[in-house]
Amino acid sequence: MAKAQLKNGPKSNPKVQHKEESESLKGTMASVMFLGFFIIVTWLGVYFLFVDRF
Amino acid sequence: MHMHKLEKIWLIFGLAALIVFLSTIGVSAFYLGNKPPSCLTTVDPEKVDQTAPFNKPGLHKVEGKDWDYELVFVAQAFAYTPTQVTVPLGAKVKVIATTKDVVHGLEVAGTNINMMLEPGYVSEYTTTFDKEGEYLIVCNEYCGTGHHLMSSKIEVKK
Repeated sequence: MAKAQLKNGPKSNPKVQHKEESESLKGTMASVMFLGFFIIVTWLGVYFLFVDRF
Repeated sequence: MHMHKLEKIWLIFGLAALIVFLSTIGVSAFYLGNKPPSCLTTVDPEKVDQTAPFNKPGLHKVEGKDWDYELVFVAQAFAYTPTQVTVPLGAKVKVIATTKDVVHGLEVAGTNINMMLEPGYVSEYTTTFDKEGEYLIVCNEYCGTGHHLMSSKIEVKK
């Protein structure tokens, strides 16, 4: 019992859990921003094509 | 509710992008007055040849309007009238078009003049021809066996 508690100890610590969570969202942030910039770049491409033509 | 810091950043980013995109459309429609080419102006498809301005297809100079010329096109299977037209460089032109039979397209390749012509409806697009050159007009709505032969030409020169 004492050993098992020691193993689970750090995981149940809210501070450590929060740190783990913030690290796990970095990849999501990167992919969201990649998709966002892709959408903006293609949108601007079509917009300037429209403005440039008569 | 606990929200992650990065989650807040991408939600704000997404909302800001949405507002910018929608505002652009709003300014285009309500301030610049852009609208779809077919704007509920009607014409009797059986009397197109007798109805102004389609009784005189081609380029006409007009006075006292926001545009300098009116370019009238009549489409039918499988040709446009006129088959060729010359537009002076820099002219502000209102392109007015309709069809006598089935649905046709009127696309001036490489420009924003691109509209669907529906029997009974008049399609219009106002623009300034500010680039010299020869522009091919093609039908981009399948209209029958001769669809691929349907074309016209606009020449923009000084």
